[in-house]
Amino acid sequence: MSNHIDGSRNSCALHGALQLIEAIDGAVPVIHSNAGCGMQHFLGVNRSNAFGCPFGGPPVSSSNISEKHVVFGGSSRLREQLKNTVKVVDGELYFIVSGCSTEMVGDDIPAMAKEGREQDFPVIYANTPGFRGGVHHGYQLAVRALVEQLPDLLKEKRTPVKGLVNVLGIVPQQDPFWAGNLEEIGRLLEGIGLEPNLLLGYGQGVDGWHRVPEASLNIVVSVWGDAGARLLEERYGTPFLRLEGLPVGSAAGGLLRAVSDRLGLDSGLAEHVIQTQETRLRRQLGSLADAYFRAGFQREFALVGESAQVVGLSDFLTRTLGLLPRTLVITDDPPEESRASLEQSLALLVEEFGSEVFFTEDHAEISAVLRSGNAGLVLGSALEEQVAEELGAAFMRVSFPLGERVVIDRGYAGYRGASSLLEDLGTLLLSSATRKFNTVS
Amino acid sequence: MSLLKSKAPRIREKRLDTLNAWLGSAESSIRELSGEETFQRIRTFSQSSQDDLLHALRLLAGVRESVVIIHAPRGCIAAGLYHKVASGAGRWIVTNLDQKDTIMGADRKLRKAVTGAYRQYRPEVIFIVSGPVAAINNDDIQAVVDELHEELELPIVPVYVTGFASRNAVTGYDTALHAILKHIVGTRGDGQGTTKVNLLSVVEHPDDRVESERILALLGVELNVLPDGASATTFRLAAGARFSFSLDQDSENYLGVILRDEYGVPYVEQPRPIGLGATGRWLVSAGKALGREDVALAVHEQQSEQVRRSLGDFSLAGLRVYLALSPATAFAVADLVSEFGGEVVGVTVGHLGKLQVSQLESLARRYPSLQVHVADGQPFEELNIVRRLAPDLYIGDAAHIGQAARLGIPVVSLENVPVLGYAGVTGLVRRITAALKNRSFAESLAGIRTPYRDAWLRRSPNWHIKKEVK
Repeated sequence: MSNHIDGSRNSCALHGALQLIEAIDGAVPVIHSNAGCGMQHFLGVNRSNAFGCPFGGPPVSSSNISEKHVVFGGSSRLREQLKNTVKVVDGELYFIVSGCSTEMVGDDIPAMAKEGREQDFPVIYANTPGFRGGVHHGYQLAVRALVEQLPDLLKEKRTPVKGLVNVLGIVPQQDPFWAGNLEEIGRLLEGIGLEPNLLLGYGQGVDGWHRVPEASLNIVVSVWGDAGARLLEERYGTPFLRLEGLPVGSAAGGLLRAVSDRLGLDSGLAEHVIQTQETRLRRQLGSLADAYFRAGFQREFALVGESAQVVGLSDFLTRTLGLLPRTLVITDDPPEESRASLEQSLALLVEEFGSEVFFTEDHAEISAVLRSGNAGLVLGSALEEQVAEELGAAFMRVSFPLGERVVIDRGYAGYRGASSLLEDLGTLLLSSATRKFNTVS
Repeated sequence: MSLLKSKAPRIREKRLDTLNAWLGSAESSIRELSGEETFQRIRTFSQSSQDDLLHALRLLAGVRESVVIIHAPRGCIAAGLYHKVASGAGRWIVTNLDQKDTIMGADRKLRKAVTGAYRQYRPEVIFIVSGPVAAINNDDIQAVVDELHEELELPIVPVYVTGFASRNAVTGYDTALHAILKHIVGTRGDGQGTTKVNLLSVVEHPDDRVESERILALLGVELNVLPDGASATTFRLAAGARFSFSLDQDSENYLGVILRDEYGVPYVEQPRPIGLGATGRWLVSAGKALGREDVALAVHEQQSEQVRRSLGDFSLAGLRVYLALSPATAFAVADLVSEFGGEVVGVTVGHLGKLQVSQLESLARRYPSLQVHVADGQPFEELNIVRRLAPDLYIGDAAHIGQAARLGIPVVSLENVPVLGYAGVTGLVRRITAALKNRSFAESLAGIRTPYRDAWLRRSPNWHIKKEVK
């Protein structure tokens, strides 16, 4: 049985699917649910990250069912909505997503999508009621729908691209740095001669999703990409490479090496790229060293975020920057079977330091573990600001919801992301050190 | 029978013939709403909008020392996250109904959430808000309320919104206020003997509340402000106040009417104090009710003189303005635009019903052929209309304002912007001046495509609005 949640940050499956669809150029979500479901998404997701949505407002198509549809069924309302959406809203792919009410009533959503396709509308669907799970589940459902249903819409066969690799597992908005992280991973893969298929973000359209089966490798950067990667392996025999978390700094070098190895590429090229990036990173660290020692960067920290973020950021902060992980809170509710390996890799970051790892999305519980850990530096979402303040800890917003922080294409993944992280964290630690100094005198 | 006997109030459609889809001249709108029967309209294409659940949550976010428990699947609390992040408001718990709960019901889970919230926060009041799933399942929330009310000794207030029973989100204010009146305010005769006056403030900007309290304090009146920032004590006092006074006749309507009809507290209604003229009329009507009309007149003269001096030669003469606002604000801002010599060329209001007829009449006298568009969050229609009218300025308060701005027209947002009283005029004029002085952001946005097909933008904007077949 699921429990009640205080201050939930993982919203629902419908919203997770919307997050994915909104990140694909040319895809138009068609919500079959109550009028408020899309607005909840806009307020609770788009706005809670301060860098809204590509449509410039709340979702552009929603059947807004009323009492009549709850009593007598709403399939005909969806038929009408779909037919008119195609006429009103410009798009290349219309993606029906359902909410709790229409699923309880039993509306036949697949049949409506099929009807649409028979009229030559490019339509797919996913059943995404919130009672089935949170955003991450919704992301998985939408990926599955795209993989399973898009081939039916493809008119002509196109020539496969050599060296194409898909990147899976980044949930837009839920990773507030999703766009920047993807672009950096793409840049690095391009560097070793591959063609990255990023699938989400600026310039990533429906066509990219049509090309998914042609890839020679799927790179999965979080547990949430597993289901999609397995499905693609099953259907097309595409192998996948799974990372425990975002590759930040030297971990990105590790990714390039592994990919190059897996695809049998010229290892000289990968090593050259890695060497160039590593030298650059070392140079930056060298220049930062003065500030590092002056402001006492080497602190105990708490980190609250998605599993991929917690793994990726804490790896860089501890293994490269020498910080000490006190409290690590994973908020995305990863599947039970993945927890042991997450816990193990995090506990080993600094041997015999005794980092504590928690799995919870409950705001009251997170506040309590942060209090008892009492770290001097808290990295988390806007929801953690209050408790950080209470603890007198330096605080930085890195996870969803960011609230009063605008992120456009900044990322923390890869080598460029490591530099950004050094900038942001360095600025915070310097200013908090100065503030403390001033209050003492 | 007492109106408070029922679980929830009658929806706005039934109580006040409220429409949420309509396009017609001001005059035809009056005819539609004044006739024997008002026909509801529906849309054959629609976009996400506010609903009663969202409005109830917004209102409850302002109640002090409270916890809101949403009895629903997990996503129904997303807006709570926004309120928390954007304004630090409220404590939000969701019962997180899963698939099994949708079949079996989940009162045990609700009970656990309530007792958990009580232990964690020791609030003065706990609200239980039902969502669509609980409404469809007909979960027995009342049983949980009855049982735990005894055990925990604090008011537990069930708010029965559904997300689908009404197309007018404003019904959610009514439902939340109904629940508060029924479960906190108590029975007639309670709280008698206070000299305070109720100021009805429903989801107002905090600065607007401060400004209206400041102005009314100049009349020497003690205020009991509710529901914004109210505690359980404030609500109890309300039933014995001298009278209730308006800030927004539309949002507050149910509260004013029930306090009057059920508790005998007179309700002094007045249009929103937006602009100098309206603020003066508002203040004088409060003065009259208090027997201090002369003080009110003197205060207004002095305060408005100050504002006038600070505005210099600000004028909207020759400017064509489009308004897309909630009803009470829209009519009041229309007055303000006229006051400064501008012309209102069209309005979109979130809903329209019997409550708005007298204001529609005064608008129709000034602009007989003015098009009135009724839509909550339907930017596809709004953009179609605004594009044709090509106004010089767009003033709006909806979440889709970023989309409207793609038309390249200077935009002023009133969402989360104080507009009331003397301070409101100064602030509003400053924003309008800025928007008109430098239009480069509007021009930067003008290059972005709207989400709509050109074929739609050429179609008649009321194409998808049809009479509902019963």
